[in-house]
Amino acid sequence: MIDSTVLKVRDLYVTYQSSFGPVPAVRGVDLDIALGETLGLAGESGCGKSTLAMALLRLVPPTTQISGSILLDGQNVLTMKPGQLRLVRWAQASIVFQGAQHVLNPVQRIGAQIDEAIQLHHGSTSSTVREMLALVGLSDTRADDYPHELSGGQKQRVMIAMALSCNPLLIIADEPTTALDVMVQAQILQLLDNIKRERGLSMLFITHDLSVLSHNTDRVAVMYAGRIVEVGPAEELLRGSIHPYSRALAESFPIIGDPKSRHQPKGLAGDPPDPNLLPSGCPFHPRCNVAIDSCKSIDIKLSAVAKSVDRQVACVHANDESRSVK
Amino acid sequence: MSNRYVIKKIIGALLTLFAVVVFNFFLFRIVDRDPLSKYRGRSKLSLEQREAMIRRMGLSGSKWDQFVVYIKSTLRLDFGRSFDSTRPVLREIADRLPATLILVGISTALTIGIGLYIGAKAGWARGSRFDRVSTSGTMVLYATPEFFFGMLLLAIVAGRTGWFPTGGLRDIGANYGFVDSLLDRAHHLVLPSLTLTLGYLGSYSLIMRTSMLETLGEDYLTTARAKGLKESDVMTHHAVPNALLPSVSVIAISFGFVIGGAITTETVFSYPGLGLATADAIRNTDLPMLQALFLVASAAVIFLNLVADLTYGLLDPRIRHST
Amino acid sequence: MSDSVASISPRGMTWARRKRALARVWRELRNDRSGFSGLLILLGFGLVALCAPLIADRSLLLAAAGRNNPDLAGPSAKFLLGTDDIGRDILAQLVWGSRVSLFIGIFATVVAVLIGSLVGLVAGYVKGKVATVLLAIDNFFLVVPFLPLAIVLAVILGRSPVTLALVIGFTSWAGSARLVRAQVLSLSERGYVERARALGANSRHVILRHILPGVAPLIIANATLIVPGAILTESTLSFLGFGDRLSPSWGKLLDGAQSSGSITLNAWWYYLPPGLCIITVVLAFTLFGRALERIFDPRLAGR
Repeated sequence: MIDSTVLKVRDLYVTYQSSFGPVPAVRGVDLDIALGETLGLAGESGCGKSTLAMALLRLVPPTTQISGSILLDGQNVLTMKPGQLRLVRWAQASIVFQGAQHVLNPVQRIGAQIDEAIQLHHGSTSSTVREMLALVGLSDTRADDYPHELSGGQKQRVMIAMALSCNPLLIIADEPTTALDVMVQAQILQLLDNIKRERGLSMLFITHDLSVLSHNTDRVAVMYAGRIVEVGPAEELLRGSIHPYSRALAESFPIIGDPKSRHQPKGLAGDPPDPNLLPSGCPFHPRCNVAIDSCKSIDIKLSAVAKSVDRQVACVHANDESRSVK
Repeated sequence: MSNRYVIKKIIGALLTLFAVVVFNFFLFRIVDRDPLSKYRGRSKLSLEQREAMIRRMGLSGSKWDQFVVYIKSTLRLDFGRSFDSTRPVLREIADRLPATLILVGISTALTIGIGLYIGAKAGWARGSRFDRVSTSGTMVLYATPEFFFGMLLLAIVAGRTGWFPTGGLRDIGANYGFVDSLLDRAHHLVLPSLTLTLGYLGSYSLIMRTSMLETLGEDYLTTARAKGLKESDVMTHHAVPNALLPSVSVIAISFGFVIGGAITTETVFSYPGLGLATADAIRNTDLPMLQALFLVASAAVIFLNLVADLTYGLLDPRIRHST
Repeated sequence: MSDSVASISPRGMTWARRKRALARVWRELRNDRSGFSGLLILLGFGLVALCAPLIADRSLLLAAAGRNNPDLAGPSAKFLLGTDDIGRDILAQLVWGSRVSLFIGIFATVVAVLIGSLVGLVAGYVKGKVATVLLAIDNFFLVVPFLPLAIVLAVILGRSPVTLALVIGFTSWAGSARLVRAQVLSLSERGYVERARALGANSRHVILRHILPGVAPLIIANATLIVPGAILTESTLSFLGFGDRLSPSWGKLLDGAQSSGSITLNAWWYYLPPGLCIITVVLAFTLFGRALERIFDPRLAGR
């Protein structure tokens, strides 16, 4: 086990500068992704998950402060010089962005957009546009098309082809199926899954929809207000989440294969907190239905739970026998 | 670009041109009830000469008859004779057209090229030193009447240093060979084209800066950065091609301004083109000349607009591939 | 306390709301450095224009006034900015010229904004043939080169300052019509116009009560940006020979400077001051107008 860890994030803080002052979007996150492993990262919009994804390749606005460390294949992304960083981008880790409508350049042929990445990193790949299109199930005549000539699903396939074109170790999939209809969603998820298996890729799969994570992830982390509040093996966590936020998130979506959940979807009241006005203590306590007095003052850290070696939770109730299993 | 798009744009341009021709008749035959009264030499005309002139100008008969005569002669490019020189207007215009084409052509190319470059760079680096300096600079350029520029250039560069001629198209009386004569004409072109270029640089660069700002937040720029592109390549390969699109249509509209600028610029430098002809026609109330010059200017702007529309079609695949 | 209770009538509430909105505009303008300095410069020029009779006697503009003065004399204690080619005091012409230039610029803008808003409101509110025709006319005026058009109109209609203002106004409304129409369309998409119509309000009421208030700020900002263009056009037309030499605008002064050969004679006091005045006022209007645009349309903030 010298280093099968592809991505190792320690104590990551990301703070935006806005006209109203600094906005702490990510506040002390640790993450590990092993070779060939898929980590699901879930949370409502505004919890900092997309910021985290962007920060991994330093794609945040230049005024943003980032601290901690991001080791990608053992090298710290945060201390790289710009030239070195550009070599790492896409060649070591690439991103499948959400909403492929706007992430492709509308006035450039898609073949040229894929080829641009290949040419840029020709040291790390010998793939061709034609191969990449075939890989995602598109005919090579599509290379001459412009983005507006493709459907949403086809654009997302192009995005995936582009992300794979330089043979990265890690794919960051940032809500890759959001703007798509359900049938296409399933196709894209299947495609990502197949490719990942074939190529032994690591993946960070970001979503607000826990149900998407159930069968294609090894581990799941749940994020709230810029922090990870629960992390553990996917199967275990989705079956029985411990943190009240994870539980609420899980209940707000129907579980595939469980018709009962479909009839009683439960929403989570309220909105995630404004990063500028975080509540005291545990940031979730104002929306939590099991909060106790100490939650208002004690900001509890992520720590291992007694019943499982692989799980960590940030909640006072983490070790309550009665609550841990629903 | 689909044929339908091209045909639609060409028909649109022809319709506008026709509207200008009709509007021209309206202005010179209906708003102006007695065009001949503006002819200075009219008191010296005998009754017969006067009748002949009315016939020649197509001023006899009902308004409809006049309109038919007007349309027929316009189609033959027969604009009558200049009040001032009494030569055919078409001849006057043909003689002066090349000088103006060269001046306006050079200045338009320079002002669009430099303006777009400055605007793109300023918008890309919003708030930077370059942005602040160039934006205030272009605002001052925008606020300056181009003929005042010309006067300053004349006073400073031509008057004080004598590096450049103060006016005209070429040295009168000098007997140059082919190359020298070409150089001499270029020498005379420097200050007028500099004036016209500086005069409209400001608007072009402000337009481009605005559309650049609009593309700054686009997701495909993040994609390009994530792919590992250099900032300069993100700008030239992805931001600029997209920012150019909205600029092209605004630029098309401002061709009319450059053509207007040619009138005063040629006046300042006594540059014998259509602009100077316009200024002379104003001072002499030379209606036949003005009428034709207005048609020529409008036709030129309509044509340039058509070119811009077709360029837009080429640049934007969404139009190029639409049916 | 009783006063404030008494004033809560619908009219009072509207007033209070308008006062608050005005206060907000003023506050934001105070914080906008370039916009506020533009406003100050404009107030300065406005003051000079209003007080022209106190600064220099109008008779100084007459051709006879320069008869006993030296022609094209440089600045001196008697003539602070020298004299022109017929011996008239240039400072006096400059001061009175601010009246002509500002008057024509503002009057032309009023004409342009009136035509533009009317066409824009109607073209945006009604659908069908009327809108198509209005748009075609608007398009025509956008395409036809406006300086040649203004020249032709001014030659035919006459060369007085009022005619010039009308001509400039008549040739520069097309852009604002387009802007107003777009704003009306976007306002109509919001629910309340539809609701007012459903409740039986007639078009007049909908336009006056619901659409106009939404379009007004845009029209004001746009008007402030038309004035500098109108002033530039006026100076161009005057430079080309229109206007009145005995009541010269700044552009007319430049025409005089050009045709009297002041440039080759190095008489900088003749051509420099009017040119700088034009630049300063145009710049001030532009800065002020852009600031208003930023305040009224937050999407433009940071431009």
